Amino acid sequence: MTQKTVLLVDDEQGFLEALADALEHEGHRVLKATTAEDALRILREQTVQLVTVDVMLSPGPSLESQTTSQDAGVWLCEKITKQYPQLDVFCLSVVSDLETIQKIESFGVRFLRKGETPLRTVLNMISSRLTGIAYSTDRRR
Amino acid sequence: MSSSDVSQQRIDELERRCARLQEQLDQVKVEQTTYLQNISHQLVAPLNAIKWHIENLTAGRLTNIERAKKVLRSVYSQSTIAVHLAKNFNLMSNLEADHALTALKEPLQPVSLCRLVINLADDFQPQGWDRNIQISVDHNNFDKAPDVLAMKPLISQVFSNIIENAVKYSDNESVIKIDGHFDPKNDAVIVNITSKGIPLPQNIAKVFERSFRSEQAKNKYPAGTGFGLYIAQRIVVIHQGSISAQMTARGEAVFTVSLSVRALEGKARLRDPKDRTSR
Repeated sequence: MTQKTVLLVDDEQGFLEALADALEHEGHRVLKATTAEDALRILREQTVQLVTVDVMLSPGPSLESQTTSQDAGVWLCEKITKQYPQLDVFCLSVVSDLETIQKIESFGVRFLRKGETPLRTVLNMISSRLTGIAYSTDRRR
Repeated sequence: MSSSDVSQQRIDELERRCARLQEQLDQVKVEQTTYLQNISHQLVAPLNAIKWHIENLTAGRLTNIERAKKVLRSVYSQSTIAVHLAKNFNLMSNLEADHALTALKEPLQPVSLCRLVINLADDFQPQGWDRNIQISVDHNNFDKAPDVLAMKPLISQVFSNIIENAVKYSDNESVIKIDGHFDPKNDAVIVNITSKGIPLPQNIAKVFERSFRSEQAKNKYPAGTGFGLYIAQRIVVIHQGSISAQMTARGEAVFTVSLSVRALEGKARLRDPKDRTSR
């Protein structure tokens, strides 16, 4: 199986590191960005198959006039889905505002509640998208 | 003007006042909801990150021992953050209730600020390692300073809030310097916390205002309450001390806390200057 590359966009180091560890253990290549600006730069420079984006995110200096830290992730989801329609995008966030979630999902992005969703579930969903194999719960447990 | 006209005017005025009060009440409700959501988000985030790290460890996804150690250090950092936040929110609810700190019934006790700061530096250092930030306490003069009479858990939170901020907003690969000394003229212990990173806003006093966060701070770390320095200032004032901030010519932010050694002698408990019930 060809190794797939996943870009994780989150400024909360704890989540970023935990998800990166899990994906690397599954054999995926992981790239990390902590600002929207960094994420777009990486997407310009590297080939990526899947992106995860947090909602509350630092825009980065060059994007501060276009979005705020409160919703830079929503802005980024829209930007990525328009510029890179072939990419699978997940939004991993703790936001519970229904309007925001609906807006994110309107871009074709799958929303997952960060933290409340077990890491195994997130991992299985990402792997399922990357491999094209239907999602199944973990049988090893 | 007839008396019925005057009565009508009064009724109209009362109606307008009621409408204004209702607007204020609605505003307070909105602020309260935002505040609670913020608290919830801030507390839940580190706890959930810990859950994910533990899931990785228990599922055997961390086979490299060095990586596993690093993850455990991160778990420690996240726990420190959660505990720190919980303490802040507890203090904040007391401060906001405005019958305030007398309700805490914390005893006054002699506190070595040098030892307290060293403990906090050790507690927050794991957060710094990820970005190669070092916390350095110069204890040469500091450990010769006398103890100050204070409510220890509260004073600890003052320095905890300042150090936590310094770690969060410092440049990567920088050093947070902490020093202290006794000022015999004012019979006080002075502590300076110096860091280099996001500069303080032009109107420096704003950093001590409730809920204030500079645009640069928000952009670097979207999640944040803006309570830390407000709480720190309230606690220092209750202890009859002072807290200030300044930028040096080298672009460093310096927070200075001055606490009197003896000002509170003979006082079993402290009175919050904002405490309405004590007026």
